[in-house]
Amino acid sequence: MSICRRIRALHPVALPLLLGGCDGPQSALRPGGQDAAQLYLLFVVMLVGAVVLWLALNGLFFYFTRVNQQQFSLRHGNRIIIGAGVILPTVVVGSLLAWGLSIMPSQRAPGDGLVIRVTGEEWWWRVEYWPPGADAPIVSANEIRFPAGSRTELRLTARTYIHSLWIPSLGGKMDMIPGRETVLTLHPDLEGFYRGQCAEFCGASHAMMAFESVVMAPDDFDAWLAHEAAPASRPQTPMQVRGQDIFRDEGCGACHAIRGTEFTGSVGPDLTHLASRHSLAAGIMEVERDDLMRWIAHTRDIKPQVAMPPYDWLDAEELAALAAYLESLE
Amino acid sequence: MIDRTPQGIYPPTEAMLAEPVPQDVRDAQEDRLRRVWKTKTGIRYLMTVNNSEVGKWYSLTCFAFMLSAGVLALLMRVQLAFPGMQFLDADRFNQFFTMHGSAMMFLFAVPLFEAMAILILPAFLGARDMPFPRLSAFGYWSFLIGGVFVLGSVLFDAAPKSGWFMYPPLATEDPGVGSDIWLLGLSFIEIASIAAAVELIVGVLKCRPPGMRINTMPLYAWYVLVVGGMILFAFPPLIAGDLLFELERALDWPFFDPARGGDPIFWQHLFWIFGHPEVYIVFLPSVAIAAMIVPTMAQRPIVGYSWIVLSAVGTGFLSFGLWVHHMFTTGLPMISLAFFSAASEAVVIPTGIQLFVFLVTLMVGRVQKSLPLLWIAGGLAIFTAGGLTGIMLAIAPFDWQVHDTYFIVAHLHYTLFGGMVLPVMAGVYYFFPFFTRRQLSVRLGRWAFWLIFGGFNLTFLPMHLTGLLGMPRRVFTYQPDLGWNMLNLVSSVGAFIIAAGFLVFAWDLLRPGKPRLQDPNPWKAGTLEWSATLSDEDWGVRSIPFITSRYPLWDQPRLVERMAEGRYYLPDAPEGHRETLVTSVIDGQPVQVQRVTGDAWITLAAAVFIGGCFILPTFHLYVAGAISGLLGVACIIYWLWTSTARIPDKEMKDAGLGLRLPTYAAGPQSVGWWAMWITMLGDATAFASIVFGFFFYWTAGTDFPPAGADHADGMLVLLSTLLLTVSWAMTMAARRLNRRGSVTGARAALVAAPLAALAGGGLLVLSVLDLSPTSHVYPAVICALVIWTGAHVLVGVLMQGYCLAGLVFGKIDPDHDADLWNVSLFWHFHVLTVLVTAAVIGLAPRLL
Amino acid sequence: MKGDRVTGISHRQDQDEFRGATGSLFRIALAPTIWAFHFLFCYAGAAVWCAKFGTPGGIAFLRLSIAGLTVLALLAIAWQGWRSYRQWAPHDHDDHVEGSHRFLGHAALLLSVISFVGVVYVAMPALFIGSCL
Repeated sequence: MSICRRIRALHPVALPLLLGGCDGPQSALRPGGQDAAQLYLLFVVMLVGAVVLWLALNGLFFYFTRVNQQQFSLRHGNRIIIGAGVILPTVVVGSLLAWGLSIMPSQRAPGDGLVIRVTGEEWWWRVEYWPPGADAPIVSANEIRFPAGSRTELRLTARTYIHSLWIPSLGGKMDMIPGRETVLTLHPDLEGFYRGQCAEFCGASHAMMAFESVVMAPDDFDAWLAHEAAPASRPQTPMQVRGQDIFRDEGCGACHAIRGTEFTGSVGPDLTHLASRHSLAAGIMEVERDDLMRWIAHTRDIKPQVAMPPYDWLDAEELAALAAYLESLE
Repeated sequence: MIDRTPQGIYPPTEAMLAEPVPQDVRDAQEDRLRRVWKTKTGIRYLMTVNNSEVGKWYSLTCFAFMLSAGVLALLMRVQLAFPGMQFLDADRFNQFFTMHGSAMMFLFAVPLFEAMAILILPAFLGARDMPFPRLSAFGYWSFLIGGVFVLGSVLFDAAPKSGWFMYPPLATEDPGVGSDIWLLGLSFIEIASIAAAVELIVGVLKCRPPGMRINTMPLYAWYVLVVGGMILFAFPPLIAGDLLFELERALDWPFFDPARGGDPIFWQHLFWIFGHPEVYIVFLPSVAIAAMIVPTMAQRPIVGYSWIVLSAVGTGFLSFGLWVHHMFTTGLPMISLAFFSAASEAVVIPTGIQLFVFLVTLMVGRVQKSLPLLWIAGGLAIFTAGGLTGIMLAIAPFDWQVHDTYFIVAHLHYTLFGGMVLPVMAGVYYFFPFFTRRQLSVRLGRWAFWLIFGGFNLTFLPMHLTGLLGMPRRVFTYQPDLGWNMLNLVSSVGAFIIAAGFLVFAWDLLRPGKPRLQDPNPWKAGTLEWSATLSDEDWGVRSIPFITSRYPLWDQPRLVERMAEGRYYLPDAPEGHRETLVTSVIDGQPVQVQRVTGDAWITLAAAVFIGGCFILPTFHLYVAGAISGLLGVACIIYWLWTSTARIPDKEMKDAGLGLRLPTYAAGPQSVGWWAMWITMLGDATAFASIVFGFFFYWTAGTDFPPAGADHADGMLVLLSTLLLTVSWAMTMAARRLNRRGSVTGARAALVAAPLAALAGGGLLVLSVLDLSPTSHVYPAVICALVIWTGAHVLVGVLMQGYCLAGLVFGKIDPDHDADLWNVSLFWHFHVLTVLVTAAVIGLAPRLL
Repeated sequence: MKGDRVTGISHRQDQDEFRGATGSLFRIALAPTIWAFHFLFCYAGAAVWCAKFGTPGGIAFLRLSIAGLTVLALLAIAWQGWRSYRQWAPHDHDDHVEGSHRFLGHAALLLSVISFVGVVYVAMPALFIGSCL
C-alpha cells in the first residue's frame, strides 16, 4: 500500500517494526482483491478509532492520578460514568457492529461460475478446478490459480484433520472440516502471486502447509487451465527417461498420479504439471533440481511426520535423474 | 420439634458493645480459641485445612505452575527467534504450546482465583474460615496432584500436543497418552474447581458477619458470587465434553467422527461454551481485586457500587453468548455468526462501565500514589488495548482475516496480562502486608513493574503486525522470506525481559529479612480484612463483628479495638470446636452457629485415591483405577460421616452479645443444603450439555437418527422411569416420616428406595443393551445419556444407604435430619434427569 | 421470643428463607435472563431453520420471528426496568446507607438498561442478513 511505501521510503532502516513493511507475500495489509480491500479499510478505520479511544481513556487516568489531583465533584463523576461508560460505547460499538454486519453478505456473495474444490490433506492441498458445466475436475495440488476480476467459489473440506485455507491478501480464511463442506468466495483483482497458509493447527507439520496462489488475467487463466487439463509431457532426455524409470521402480506411482502415464495413485499430490507450479511440498521449497533432490531424500527431516517416506537410499545420480524427470513435467 | 428460633437481642445496642470484657475472661477466651485453631506442626502440618494455610499453598502452587508455563513460553520464543531454527522440533514445540496454554489457564488463571478467594474472602467477611474447610483442602490436594501429573508429562515427552483446545479429530486420533493425560488430569482439576466454586458461593451468601447486607458486602464478594456462578455453568459443559471425548478415545464411540455421524464441530461448541466464559472467570476476579484497591488509593468509597454490581452480573450473563466468536471461521451460517458478533460487542458495555467507575472513583477521591496503583495503571493501559482489539475481533469479517494468527496471540495476551496478571500483581503488593505483616520492597517492585510492562509491550505489540503480515499461530517455524523475521526477534527479546521482571518479583516475594510492619493497616483501607491485629494468631478474627457500613474501618470508629477485645460474636470456643456464624442471605441476620471441620488426613487420602481413579486409566490400568475410585468414595463417606451434620451436644448456644443461636440446621437453613443445591445446578448443566448433543446431531446431520436404527426399548425405559420415580417418592416419604417421628417408617422407605432405584437403573441399562454405540453417533449418544443417568442412580443409592445407616446408628433422628434433606434434594434433581433421559431416548427418536 | 427486646431476626421456616433470597437475587437477574432467552431463541431458531427448513435465500419468516421476539423481549425488559425504578427511585440520594431493597431495585434497573441494549444488538443481524449462507 502506498502509505507503507511512503513510510519505508522515509525510514528505510530506522523503523525496525516496519522493516518487513506491510507488503510481505502473505500480508493482509496488501489487498489484492475486493474482500481483502474491504477488510483493510475496516481495519484502518478501527485502528484509528482504537488509538483515539485508548489515548483518551488512559490520558484521563493519567490526568486524574498524576497531573490534576484535586477532588472533582461526584456529579461530574456520575456524568462520566453515564456518558463515557454507557452512552458513548453503546453508540460507537453499535455503529461499528452495523457496519460489520452490513459487509458480511458481500464477503460471502455467491461465485460467478468457476468452482475450485480444495481438500486439506496431511499436510498439503488437493485442488480440483470445476469450470462451469464441467462434469469432471481438472486436478492439481498445492497451488491455486484465480482469474482476476470475477468471484471464484472455493468449496472446502478435509480428509482427516481440520485445516483452514487462508490467502491474506485476497480475503478472510475458512476452515476445512472433515465430513463437512464449507464455502469461501474470493474476488481477486490485482494479478500477481499471493502466498496462502493453513491457519488451523493440524499437527506436526502445520507450519509446513502453505501454497502459492496466482491471480491471472482471465484469458491467461483460461489458457493455463486448458494446459493444466492436458496430460503430462513425455520425458525427452535420457536422464528424464531414467528418472521416469526410477519413479516407476520406487513405486512413486502408487501414491502420485501423472496423467498420461501409468501412474494413477491418488494418496499424494497430483504431479502432472508439477514443474509449472511455483513451489514444492506445499509452499515450502522451490521446484528446482537441488530442492527436489533434497526433498525426496529427506522428506521427514524437512516436514515432520509427513506420509511420504524419505528415499535416502537413492544415490545422488538417481536423485538427480528423478528430479530431472519431475522438472520436465511442465 | 425442637424450637430453633434465635433468642435474645439483635441488633446489638451501642451500650452492649461498649461494655468492657474483663481481662481474665479475655485471656481465657484467647487461650481456648488459640488451642482450637492452632495450626499443626511437623508432618501433621499437611493435615491443615484452615483457609489461611490452604490459601497460601494454593497461591504458591499456582505461582509455581505459572513460572513453569512461562519457561515453556521462553523456550518457544527461542525457537521462533529466527526462521528455520532447530532448537525445538515440531513435536516438542507442539507439546510446549499446548502445555503453555493449558497450564496458564487450568493451573494458573482459574485456580488462582480460587486460591486468592480462599485466602482472603473469610477476612473480607470477618469470618474465621470458609464454610467447608476440608473441601478447600481436598480441592487443593486434587489440584496439586492433577497439576503435577499434567504438567509433569512434559518432562517425559508425553505431554498432550493438540493445542489447549484439543480439537478432534487431531486430538482424538493422537496415538500417544497425551490426550488422555489432558482429558483425565484436567477433568479432575475441573471437578475440584467446581467444588471450590460451590464453597465460595455458599461462603458469600451465608457466612457474612451479622449486619452485612447484600449491598454492604465488599465488591470482591460480589465478584466471587458472579464468578462462582459462572464456573458452575461454564465448567460442566467441558466436563461433559471430556466424558464424550474419553468415551471416543477409550471405547471408540464416534461422537466426533464424521464417518459415523459424529461431528468435530460439536466439541468446539462444548469447549468454547466453557472457554469463553472462562476468559471472564479469569478476568473478573482480578477486576475484583482492583475494586478493593482503587477505593483505598482514592481514600473514599467506590463511586457507583450498584454500577459495579451491574457490570459484574451483566458481564457474567453476556459472557455466555460469545462462544461462537472462537468459531467464526467454521463456516456456520452468517446469521448465526452475526448473533455472536452482536453479543460480543454488547459485552463491551458492562466491561467499560467497570473501568469508568474506577476512573471516576480516583477522580473524586484523593489519590495516594503507591505501588499497587502503578500496577493497576499498567494493567489498565494494557487491558484497554486488548479490549479495543477485542472490539475489532468481534466484527466477524475482520476476524476471518486475523483469526488464528499472531494478531490473536497479541490480543489475548493483552487482555490476560492487562486484565489478569497485572491486577493480580497489584493485589499481591496490596495484600502482602495483610498476609505476612511485612511489606514488599518498593524499589524492587518498580523494577519488576517496568521490566514486565516494558517487556510485555516489546513482546506483544509487534505481534499485531506479525499477524496482519500473515503469520499463523502454533507454527513451530517459518520461512525467512515472509517479512516476519525482525518482528519475531523483537518479540523473543521482549519475552526474556518479562521473565527478568518475574525473577525480580519472585526474589522480592521469597527473600528473607523483609521488615515487620508497625501499622496493621498500611494503606489506610476501609474494609474488614485490615482489622486483624499484628499478632500471628490462627483464628482469623478474634470476634465476628457487627457491620453497618461498606467500609467499616472508615465508618465504625471503634470496630477494630472492639473486635480485638472480643466484644462481638463468638469470642470464645468453650466446647473446643471450630465455629463460624451463618447469616441470612439478603440482610445478614445471624441464624446459626456452624461447627466447621478441623484438620484431618482424610481429605488428603480422598484426594489421592480420587486422583488415582482419574490418573490410572490414562495408562489403561482400569481395574486399579476403579479400586482407587472405590477407596476414594470410602474416604469421602468416612469424612462426611464423621464430620458433617453431627448431632450437637447443646441445641442452642450463646453466640455473644446476648444472642442465643441454634447449633444445628437442616434443609434450606443449612449451608450443606445450599451447597447441594448449587452443586446440582452444575451437575444439571453437564447433563444438559449431553442432551444438547442429541439435538445438535439432529440439527447438524441429515441421518440422525439414522433410518432403521435400533432404538432404546420403550417398554423398559418406561418401567425404569416408573421405578426411579418410586425411589424418589420413597426418599421424600422417608424424610417426611422421619420428621413426624416415625423412624421405623422412614427406615422401611429407605430400604425400599434403593431397591427400586437399583431395579430402575438396571432396566435402563437393559433397555440399551442391544445398541451398538461404536456403530453410529446415535446409539452412542443414547448410551452416554444412560451412563450419565446410571452413574447418578448409583450415587443416589449410595446416598439413600448413607441415610438408612444414619437412621439406624442414630446420626439422623426426627430432630436432626440434615442428611435426609440433602439427599432428597439430590433426588429432586435426579428424578428430573431421569424424566429428561427417558423423554430423549424413549420419545424423541420416535417423534423426530 | 425472650428478653426485653424482641430479636429483629425473623425465623423463617424451611423453604421461606431460600425462596425469599433466591427470589430477590433472581429479580435482579430477570432482565439479563430475558436477554439470554432472546439470544438463545434467535440462535437456536436460526440454526434449526437454516439446517432443516431454510432455502439459502429465504429466511423472511425467520427474520420476522426474530423481530416479533425482539419486541416482546424489549417490552418485558422495559416493564422490569420500570418496576425496578419504582423500587429504587423515590428517595434521597445518600448512596451509602440505602437499604438492600432499594439497592436491589437500582441494580435491577441498571441491568435492565444493559439488557435492553443487548437485545437491540442481538436483533441487528436480522436487519442486515437475509440468507442462510
